Amino acid sequence: MPSANCQLLIYTDKFAARNSYVRSNVLKILVCMKQVPQKDAPLKLNDAATWIREDVSYEVNEPDAFALEEALRQREKHTGEVVVITSGPARSQQVLREALAKGADRAIHLEDNAFVGLDAFNTAKAFAAAIKDEKFDLIFTGLQSDDYGYAQTGVILAELLGWPHATIIMHIEKNETSIRVKRELEAGFFQYVDMPLPAVLTIQSGINKLRYATLIGIKQAKNKPIRKVALAEVQAAIGENLQKIERLYVPEKTKKTVHIDGTPAEIAKKLVDKLRNELRVL
Amino acid sequence: MLVFRKPIEGVERPQMPADIVIVGGGPAGMACALRLSQLIDAHNAQNPDSQLSKENIYVLEKAREIGQHCLSGALLDPRSMRELLPGFEKEAPLDAQVTKEAVYFLSQKSKFKLPITPPPLRDHGNYVISLNRFVKWMGSKVEETGITIFTGFAGAELLYDGDRVTGVRTDDKGVDKEGRPKSNFEPGYDLNAKVVILAEGPRGSLTKQLVSKFDLAKDANPQTYGVGIKELWEVPGGRIAPGEVIYTLGWPLTTQEYGGAWIYGGKDNVVSLGFVTGLDYPDPRLDPQRVLQEFKKHPLVTKLLEGGKMIRYGAKSMPYGGWWAIPPVAGNGWMILGDSAGFLNSARLKGIHLAIKSGMLAAETAFEALKKDNSSAAILAAYQKKVESSWIKDELWKVRNMHQGFEQGFYAGMFHTGLQMITGGRGLRNRYPAHAGHEHMRKLAELPADGGDEAHLLGPAKGDGKLIFDKLTDLYHSGTKHEEDQPSHLIIHDTNICNERCVKEYGSPCQNFCPANVYEMVDDATQPNGKRISLNPSNCVHCKTCDIADPYQIITWVPPEGGGGPNYDGM
Amino acid sequence: MPDAILVVVEQREGKLNRVSWETIAGGQAIAAATGWTLDAAIVGENGSALAAEVAAKKVTKVYAVESPKLEPYTPDAFAAALKQLIAAKQPKLVLMPHTYQVRDFVPKLATAMGRTVISDCIGFKHENGKLLFTRQMFQGKLAADVSFASEAPWFATFQNGAFRGDQAEAGASAAAIETVKVEITDGVIRNKPQDVFKEAKQAVDLTQAEIIVSVGRGIKEQKNIEMAKQLAEALGGELAASRPICDNGWLPMDRQIGSSGQTVAPKLYLALGISGAIQHIVGMKGARTIIAVNKDSEAPIFEIADYAIVGNLFDIVPPLTEEVKKAKAGS
Repeated sequence: MPSANCQLLIYTDKFAARNSYVRSNVLKILVCMKQVPQKDAPLKLNDAATWIREDVSYEVNEPDAFALEEALRQREKHTGEVVVITSGPARSQQVLREALAKGADRAIHLEDNAFVGLDAFNTAKAFAAAIKDEKFDLIFTGLQSDDYGYAQTGVILAELLGWPHATIIMHIEKNETSIRVKRELEAGFFQYVDMPLPAVLTIQSGINKLRYATLIGIKQAKNKPIRKVALAEVQAAIGENLQKIERLYVPEKTKKTVHIDGTPAEIAKKLVDKLRNELRVL
Repeated sequence: MLVFRKPIEGVERPQMPADIVIVGGGPAGMACALRLSQLIDAHNAQNPDSQLSKENIYVLEKAREIGQHCLSGALLDPRSMRELLPGFEKEAPLDAQVTKEAVYFLSQKSKFKLPITPPPLRDHGNYVISLNRFVKWMGSKVEETGITIFTGFAGAELLYDGDRVTGVRTDDKGVDKEGRPKSNFEPGYDLNAKVVILAEGPRGSLTKQLVSKFDLAKDANPQTYGVGIKELWEVPGGRIAPGEVIYTLGWPLTTQEYGGAWIYGGKDNVVSLGFVTGLDYPDPRLDPQRVLQEFKKHPLVTKLLEGGKMIRYGAKSMPYGGWWAIPPVAGNGWMILGDSAGFLNSARLKGIHLAIKSGMLAAETAFEALKKDNSSAAILAAYQKKVESSWIKDELWKVRNMHQGFEQGFYAGMFHTGLQMITGGRGLRNRYPAHAGHEHMRKLAELPADGGDEAHLLGPAKGDGKLIFDKLTDLYHSGTKHEEDQPSHLIIHDTNICNERCVKEYGSPCQNFCPANVYEMVDDATQPNGKRISLNPSNCVHCKTCDIADPYQIITWVPPEGGGGPNYDGM
Repeated sequence: MPDAILVVVEQREGKLNRVSWETIAGGQAIAAATGWTLDAAIVGENGSALAAEVAAKKVTKVYAVESPKLEPYTPDAFAAALKQLIAAKQPKLVLMPHTYQVRDFVPKLATAMGRTVISDCIGFKHENGKLLFTRQMFQGKLAADVSFASEAPWFATFQNGAFRGDQAEAGASAAAIETVKVEITDGVIRNKPQDVFKEAKQAVDLTQAEIIVSVGRGIKEQKNIEMAKQLAEALGGELAASRPICDNGWLPMDRQIGSSGQTVAPKLYLALGISGAIQHIVGMKGARTIIAVNKDSEAPIFEIADYAIVGNLFDIVPPLTEEVKKAKAGS
């Protein structure tokens, strides 16, 4: 008959198994990053006018750089591992290389041109499939991407994984088994939220100064592993896009400039009239 | 309060050993790295027991991406590329082979086509390229071979030990406008190298430091420069064929200025056009960007560009001094390549092929130094000898007096050039003397108040938004971007000269010769002349014109924080 | 049965977030174009009390979704509650304002239902029976018309200012209000939010400002900025500047608008003494209404201004500020 000690052991093991992230002291963070066209790059439409032409300069999505910075700081505080992931053609590997040069430990690259055309839902599904054998404690994404600007991928990923999430995070404090995050709300309001781990957080931009990659970091990055994931490996997880860009175009501004004349007093009255009755800002 | 960039003192710098550091990832630097890699691979294949490593060979490139700061017309003479990579034409990005050339002499409204294209300007067999794209391709080949290119890192200072160059210090990152370290401060690394190879392009800042420290230029002519102002245009089809090359002389310049324009037809209806103005013009009010805008008003150009769209703008200086202005190019632990040395054929207006060849020759010497583990002046002198017995010398020797001939004006220059062409470059004497360009600049008191014949070249251009652009609009299309919160990398050694003397004597020409609106005189009642020098360093396009043209020679350009600068995509 | 549109309005501090009226206006516009019906839903503990306000608008029905677990807001609770409502009522299209809160839960809600959200839309089009949602891409450089390729329910969120709240039509009579009690089982809610608090923000976020008063070189001296500040305050807007002003240190860098500063697209942008160099224009040309004051009639800013005032800003701004204050006090 099992002794009381044995029973205790069995119970502890079951508990530990359910909460295996507690057992390891290592904080594993995944940072989802995206490569987007450079901010000032002149954009050209492709022939079908459904996306832009590839021949443009790219850079890392700036909000994701802040997410990476936050992950690196958390690792510095709690020891752990920072893994970066991206999906896209061969050129998007640059984003991973830069992250590794800044200190990320390893990278995952879902490499295929086809990933560019996936909507947020499918992108999140592909990521979830690619990381199914990993055991992350935290997943960070940037606030939104500078090209689409949907701000959805992180939240979708949380739902797919069955994890809690919080968005527009300014600050993270990790306790034993949970975290306390500071959410930014509108109009200068904030809120602290206690959350269990594992969790998905979308990180606000500008919360920290971004670190520079060093020469040593760049050299070391060459030897850090980048796991390539082919489209075929995650094909089963993704489906048809649930939404479709019917057309992409340069927004037309039909602007007719209206001159407002008169004495300063007259101009003031005319303007206020417009502000109140036409523009409805008063 | 202007605070100027200088390496932070009293901070511990990471030390990194290196075999070879190539400062500058342009055509010279990339060719050097490629050739070095070829030689090492060949050696390693033959010598399995004494392998040489590429692990400690580095290229430092200040731009965020390879090729981003490369700007030229450009026409590539394939001679050296064929030596470096036989068959390169099959994979290199080339816009078109040159199909026809024309040289025009312009007056304000008309043009005269030279019946015979002068031999130096004949371009058959050459290629119209985008230097930016070409260097990007070269860079990908360098990376494939396993040599590390550090992008976003500038060479800020050379390291010395007595008369030996022992390495390069990279730029300090994360320094604020007042010169104080920010929370993300990263000190520059000391790359302690056996050989430092300077391939910084025209008026290299480390090259300038080196030449000054060891008085290397004492036996050479002063280097003279021009500044090329370029615009890239998309034009409606049928206006100009890919590979069509046009050069112009004359209008809008007068006989007092040296320079001319180029127009190259690229592919996909993209036209490269630009104006090179010698930085030895007399009137300090001259604005090289204005010169380009005036040029575009000529019917020849207006017809070409009408209905088109300007897609990119940039500027870069180029060394005209020729063979006699080249300082010693090798010494104790150092070598100088390409435009930094002055390897440019000012008659043909080409330097890329010479830069590449110089890179290859330096690689051969560096390879020997690696093998022998000896990079003393004696060993590196081989590079100097190689240059002097190569076709670089053959080519440059024939035009060694070309630019100097123009010091007395256009007609004198044409006379001397004609003479030089039939005397193998000698002209009236083996070596014509030269004067630094800024010495030609006259004071306002000596010039007509309204500018006289030069009036249309003086002062800022006013744009129409379609064909002609003001400087700020043009500048926007250079894509230039810098970390805003950093000290000024344009170092003015005595701003009192700006505020007290220059305003009156020259009228603050920095406002005119800078193609990027970096320099501005703002109202300041506390100053004796009511004006004070103010800088917008983040506008800088790294052309070096200010370092060259300032009449008091009190401006030193040093690299800003790495990663910043123009974005010469497609240039 | 015609298809139904469901507008989910938002509460804030026990009151209706007024951006909800914009979403209702949007819903009404789509209903008019498609012939679909329009319902509304309000989620949260105080729902029933506020439902009457919503019911006064021209909607068919208002659902007050209730559960004690909906207070305070958590994404888990809101997603669970709305999933039940939507499964029960089966709307074709669900609309919400693109607030921070909606961003926090609607992608989760849609994913839980195997559906998708087209978010941050600035308008819609109804072409050949197809509904398209327009949104800005690449930070306003391009626009996209996006369609749904999935089954209903469809989810879309509208950007602040995409529609005008004052154009939400009132109903002829009050709509019916139906209380829907939802079941949120234990363990569904995992986040534990603390109380909301206000904090002096270190940096101003101009991208959130609806009204911006911006100064350029024409302001001449630092002390004159006070005049612009007064106008901004009177309008309830934020103060911003073009680069030279921030370079001089007259205003902090986080107030800079342009290619080396912020890109904004507020409801109203007032450019005072700004010439309109392209470096500045790219940072604000997405503003819905641009009013420019400059004494140079050829200043490029006038090319993109909706209202142009050629004159001396020192003469024009003070009386303008007075009139604005009067108008606000009077209303």
